[in-house]
Amino acid sequence: MVITQRTTRRIRILVALVIGLVMSAPLLYMLAGSLMSNSQLSIQPPQVIPNSLHFGNYPAAFSGLTQVIQVRSFVNSVIFTVGAVGLQWVLCITGGFVIAKMRFRSRGLITALFAISLFIPLLTTLIPTFVVTYKLGIINTYPGLILPIAAQTGFGSLLFRQYIKELPQELFDAARMDGANWWLMLRRLVIPLARPATAAYLAISVVTAWNMYLWPLLAANAPHVQVLSEVVAAIGQGDSFGYTVTQPQLYAATVITVIPTVVAFLLVQPAFVRGLTGSGVE
Amino acid sequence: MSVTQLSDPLIANLGTPTPITRPRKKHRDGRWAAVMIFPNLAMFTVFIIVPVLGGLYLSFTTWDITNGFPKWVGLQNYRQMFHDPLVWQACETTLKFIAFGMVPTVILSLWLAMLINFKFRGISVVRSLYLIPAAMSFAASAVVWRYIFLDGPGYGVLDYVISRFGVTPPDWLASTTWALPALDIIAIWLSLPIATILYLAALQRIPDSVIEASKLDGAGPLRRIRYIVWPGVRYMTPLVAIVALLSFTNGSFDLVNILTKGDPINSTQTLIYYIYFESFAFGAWGYAAALSILQVIMIAGILVVLRLVSSLVNRW
Repeated sequence: MVITQRTTRRIRILVALVIGLVMSAPLLYMLAGSLMSNSQLSIQPPQVIPNSLHFGNYPAAFSGLTQVIQVRSFVNSVIFTVGAVGLQWVLCITGGFVIAKMRFRSRGLITALFAISLFIPLLTTLIPTFVVTYKLGIINTYPGLILPIAAQTGFGSLLFRQYIKELPQELFDAARMDGANWWLMLRRLVIPLARPATAAYLAISVVTAWNMYLWPLLAANAPHVQVLSEVVAAIGQGDSFGYTVTQPQLYAATVITVIPTVVAFLLVQPAFVRGLTGSGVE
Repeated sequence: MSVTQLSDPLIANLGTPTPITRPRKKHRDGRWAAVMIFPNLAMFTVFIIVPVLGGLYLSFTTWDITNGFPKWVGLQNYRQMFHDPLVWQACETTLKFIAFGMVPTVILSLWLAMLINFKFRGISVVRSLYLIPAAMSFAASAVVWRYIFLDGPGYGVLDYVISRFGVTPPDWLASTTWALPALDIIAIWLSLPIATILYLAALQRIPDSVIEASKLDGAGPLRRIRYIVWPGVRYMTPLVAIVALLSFTNGSFDLVNILTKGDPINSTQTLIYYIYFESFAFGAWGYAAALSILQVIMIAGILVVLRLVSSLVNRW
């Protein structure tokens, strides 16, 4: 009895490991491919673990003649992600605080507007949003890239509202007794106490912004504002930018663009799972 | 607040008319609230409310964005839409893409979540293997999957594996039958991690003792899933479905634009890709706006169906 239980346990671990490897296989294959030479990659039967490693693909992808990834588009991706998420966070935590704790006439209406907007993803209002941005004359500029995305405040505002609502009312009453105004309460009470909500919000938004493709493609396709996902999409389309770039170099370029989100994701993953499990999500 | 509530009946008992202080007190945060929520609402108005209303207006006009003003044409765009065979094909393709993607995502993610819902040393490493793809963009996954799906002799990892089993592999992205399923496979792969996390969270709230007890009672795996696991996680299913819906809606543009451009013979032309094509390539902005309204109606329709299905499922 004990032995069979231990064996089933071992089999279960093995199955979980094998399926896990299958799930991450495309990613691992890209990583392996980025370390192969061109002939290693096209050999038949396909090599899964490279028999010799070629780290040279990485510097080749980043610089030199081929220049698959321009430093410029990497910087643009950082500017876009930090700008859009940072601005949206300020708008959302302030807005969430206002509709959670303040009393005023149109509160219900504003909350309802945010809720409705959750069901109108940017994709469906793409054409008119582009028209507005175009008419504001900010296509192919950082504001044109960042502002329409930062303005999608529905989800974040409701997330922070939910969290701030649950904070004990006594804290806010006490702060008001001490003469604190709303602005001071936001800075001294809400922002520090809502840190877990901020973490969850950042985990979702940073990955979304870094990976965003459609909006940057429309609003910023000039080289000086282009972001990484546009470059990677061009690689995916089979574009080698007029250079003799090899497939392993393209893989290396893609790995470089994926690393920031993968590292960020692996760092927050345990907290993310724990947060979902520990708190009520019903 | 509680003080006011207490004093109200007192004042009423004394025979004074209902004081006006209460409504004023109720709205006293108004000015602060207005100042603090203004930036949020201003952005929300300019980039969400204006586009939604403006898009509705544009759908009744014909317009080339680069010159002149929109010209009112009434229902002409909508009439054109009903007689455009490409629109119907695009709607069908989009619905197929979403349906054939969402159903496997929900089923597979529940299975994967059950697979990794147990404790042993190194479980967090194994879990990471399941969850990493969530960090990838559609663009980056297109790079690697294009190579996996590659056709022709001496290429394509997947074709190699399939032909080892003695089966002739399909032409994947170049075939009218297989291109859409191929895109679905990529989108499912990208949607599974988040769906799995959500189900895992629900699974971990089922106490181990309940499962142990059912084992002692001699319940087989199927009965355990039906009577213990499923009732414990089904409340999570609508959320999983909505998250998957959003992901597949986005994927219906990103993957199509990067990998197939709607080809072969329009077999992967989704509605959003058609909208993109009509506006940015053809300059028919009024028509594209009308098609966007159709897209909103389609997503709303899917949400209604999801609601019906989940209320049925929850009773089951």
